[in-house]
Amino acid sequence: MDFLNALIALANYVLIPAMSYGSQLALGALGVTLIYGILRFSNFAHGDTMAFGAMVTILVTWWLQSMGIGLGPMPTALLALPVGILCCALMVLATDKLVYQFYREQKAKPVILVIVSMGVMFVMNGLVRFIIGPDDQNFSDGTRFIISARDFKQLTGLDEGLALRTSQAITVITAVVVVALLFWFLNRTRTGKSMRAYSDNEDLALLSGINPERVVVYTWCIVAALATVAGVLYGLDKSFKPFTYFQLLLPIFASAIVGGLGSPLGAIAGGFIIAFSEVTITYAWKKILVYLMPGPLEPDGLVQLMSTDYKFAVSFVILLIVLLFRPTGLFRGKAL
Amino acid sequence: MSADPYDDRGNKDRSITNPHGIGTLRAAPGTGHGMETARAFLIGDSMTGGYGKGPDILHDCTVAVDKGEIAVIVGPNGAGKSTAMKAVFGMLDVRQGSVRLDGEDITGLTPQDRVVKGMGFVPQTNNIFTSMTVEENLEMGAFIRTDDFSDTMTQVYDLFPILKEKRAQAAGELSGGQRQQVAVGRALMTRPKVLMLDEPTAGVSPIVMDELFDRIIEVARTGIPILMVEQNARQALEIADKGYVLVQGSNAYSGTGKDLLADPDVRKSFLGG
Amino acid sequence: MSETVRNIGLFAIVGGLILLTGVMQSWNAALLILNMGLISAIMAIGVNLQWGFAGLFNIGVMGFVALGGLAVVLVSMPPTPEAWAAGGAGIIAALVLGALTVTAAVLLLRKMQAGATRNIVLIVLLVGGFFLYRAILDPSVEAVENVDPAITGYLGGLALPVLLAWPVGGLLAAGAAWLIGKTALGLRSDYLAIATLGIAEIIIAVLKNEDWLSRGVKNVVGIPRPVPYEIDLQSDPAFVERAAGFALDPVTASTLYVKLSYALLFTVVLLVLLWMAQRALNSPWGRMMRAIRDNEVAAEAMGKDVTRRHLQIFVLGSAVCGIAGAMMTTMDGQLTPGSYQPLRFTFLIWVMVIVGGSGNNFGAVLGGMLIWFLWVQVEPIGVFLLDVLTSGMSDGPLKSHLLDSAAHMRLLTMGLVLILVLRFSPRGLIPEK
Repeated sequence: MDFLNALIALANYVLIPAMSYGSQLALGALGVTLIYGILRFSNFAHGDTMAFGAMVTILVTWWLQSMGIGLGPMPTALLALPVGILCCALMVLATDKLVYQFYREQKAKPVILVIVSMGVMFVMNGLVRFIIGPDDQNFSDGTRFIISARDFKQLTGLDEGLALRTSQAITVITAVVVVALLFWFLNRTRTGKSMRAYSDNEDLALLSGINPERVVVYTWCIVAALATVAGVLYGLDKSFKPFTYFQLLLPIFASAIVGGLGSPLGAIAGGFIIAFSEVTITYAWKKILVYLMPGPLEPDGLVQLMSTDYKFAVSFVILLIVLLFRPTGLFRGKAL
Repeated sequence: MSADPYDDRGNKDRSITNPHGIGTLRAAPGTGHGMETARAFLIGDSMTGGYGKGPDILHDCTVAVDKGEIAVIVGPNGAGKSTAMKAVFGMLDVRQGSVRLDGEDITGLTPQDRVVKGMGFVPQTNNIFTSMTVEENLEMGAFIRTDDFSDTMTQVYDLFPILKEKRAQAAGELSGGQRQQVAVGRALMTRPKVLMLDEPTAGVSPIVMDELFDRIIEVARTGIPILMVEQNARQALEIADKGYVLVQGSNAYSGTGKDLLADPDVRKSFLGG
Repeated sequence: MSETVRNIGLFAIVGGLILLTGVMQSWNAALLILNMGLISAIMAIGVNLQWGFAGLFNIGVMGFVALGGLAVVLVSMPPTPEAWAAGGAGIIAALVLGALTVTAAVLLLRKMQAGATRNIVLIVLLVGGFFLYRAILDPSVEAVENVDPAITGYLGGLALPVLLAWPVGGLLAAGAAWLIGKTALGLRSDYLAIATLGIAEIIIAVLKNEDWLSRGVKNVVGIPRPVPYEIDLQSDPAFVERAAGFALDPVTASTLYVKLSYALLFTVVLLVLLWMAQRALNSPWGRMMRAIRDNEVAAEAMGKDVTRRHLQIFVLGSAVCGIAGAMMTTMDGQLTPGSYQPLRFTFLIWVMVIVGGSGNNFGAVLGGMLIWFLWVQVEPIGVFLLDVLTSGMSDGPLKSHLLDSAAHMRLLTMGLVLILVLRFSPRGLIPEK
């Protein structure tokens, strides 16, 4: 029995990937939950908003790379990120003015906005494919590993290597910073509080002199920032492909609902719950079990509970279980 | 088929839509035909109107309050008491009549603009931010103010000591009477020139009701005129300087609180003898 | 202009567009659009039943369509005896065991008192059941998938007439819909949308991965047809002679004949379903559905079991989508699980329903045909337009990029159509009466 090696393998294949995937999902789910809390519908275009922000960032990254500008060991994309956020914010604000605002004036029911967001989803999806194409795009540069498996083995003399990719570390750190900023904004600033007030009680917010249109503008800007950051981090960690981003909708929605739609804290918890369950259930545990089990008991098969293609099923089953026992989600959502 | 093309077809899917806290308030500023029959600090003058293109609910109805007064609107269920309040606040399609505040015609202003002009309004229900703390509720009340509002908050805490005690608690966790205090406190934070209360004692116990009335008198003593709608006609008229009895959207009786309490017709019809 | 004339006019326009395709491009292309248009119209009827009549938000249309496709394989393909011998019994046993485990879990949840004991028993049952299920399933699956994997490697079907697969597809979809609806509509608040979205992805994942069932991404090809094969027609002297009578060469004539036969079959199904949907709409049941939709509280107060009614219509609508899915797979002659994408099979159907007119069956049919026409034709139109636009440009990376990207115009267009219709004609082309 070799506990230490098992632990390293667990960290390498399960904990670290799940942490970074969970951070990405949490950022995505935060965007969905903010729109749900303030504009009161589930935004089907969110995956494509992520793709749009990431696309702009990639284009700027390529340009910076071609100019020879970079951040040394860090990915150039971080330098391009603010431009991506800005363009994405302009894009969603334009969409709001051209499309969504009309329905707010009409006092349309939220489900109509859901259908509208389907239309926006089609348009954005088409736009992204039109501009950057439907294929995989690579834009990560800088140092690939903070510590590679081989270095780790040499350093510690263990059989198992622990690889920590730069993108994973950046993902987790960025997510922590962004989430801290968001919570500070929502709970400590006047504008943030006015957003919470609007989410809680629209009429009373109006009677208190809070301008709804301004709340909506702030919301879209924050959502654009969250979506772009999530999109870029996902792209750095895995790869950028428009269709993949569209498919992220399901785990993102699942995260937001598991945590309790409308609750930012819930969105984060949901993101990590979904990520950890997806990774643990689709991981082949044989590698870890061989260290833990005495020889004769070593497993023959891969000890993979489900094939990786069923990761969507995992998000969904988790979602169902939570809803059966706690219909409002873990953090009892609805108001920010 | 419903008339609204943006209807939800009865959809109640919570995984995609969020009805919580959704706005129902409709701004309906303006009037077809202005009226000036009387003068008061705040007056809804000869108002006739209804919701949208629907039938008229108010008929030539006048309510007013002067400085240093408490004016109370009473009447049977469905008499249009709350509707009159909404008309004064610009949430009813007024086809005839005017609303004036301190001599200025504000009929054409939206409810938000009336708040800026100095009107404070406490709705009957959903009148607090349940997920926010008591202090945050008060802060939101002062949202339009750019100056330092800490002394106003101190005043509110002096008026409602229990709120100071519970300042860090979510307002939604408070009792019914305490919630109403938060609601009134929130409205006071703008330092309004006039305060409008829509049934402030709805759904609270008699003891709490008495306490709330005491608080309202205290608020009035600070110099803020109060126009309020009340279900509990007798208690309300007892503290009222001016009373309006509405029946089917029209002024049936008006006078000082004492006069109305003494009026045999009013007693018989509305105060149970 | 009376409403009827206007509606007939709208249908005539769509017919005209298809005829124009026939004249300008080819009659084969026109008939292909017509056939898929008919299938799309049926899917739109299914979604319209749910959204239009009951306000139910089904965003898992793709899953029901795919189940219809699976039904075609299970009904019409010949069985693989070697595979059955190798692992058929094991797989059946595993599936039965799985179903029993779930049933036991549900019963446990209902009968036992809530508490730690129940939860522990439940977890032990589910985890134990899962591992036992996998222990039985895995070797059998491996055995089945090893049987001539290049050609079969799956259990095959029942070798029954393929037309039988259409109603079976409907039943399969209905069964899945019942399970989903029972769970999602039964929760304290309604979570149907996310449930359908998730289940659709799961169904596709199953079709892609469970090779023993559907050959996965290796696809099932050569599905039997309800209409003659082109090659047989071409070698039939009588047919060649008749084709010559129309001044057509035998190859073109045979392809047209096959497509026309499908068109005829599909039209019959569409008309039957449309008739049934109209009958349902105007029956007391349909009136009650709409009463519930327009005022659920009142309907509930009158003692109507709203959840039950919603479940009924959800199952019916999904069954219609399943039938359409079976028809589509039959026409394609193959099941390709990799080709199911939500944009195409879920959200496009929604565009059809909204554009056609929510709550109107004829609107759904019109929307289905029209949007399908656009979906197919936007791409060549886009290429043509960009060709014209870039004709003045010198050759370079931008020009070639624009020309390459023309293919993505269709998503953009569908989104714009949906947004514009919702904005300026929210009731759709043929509004609900």
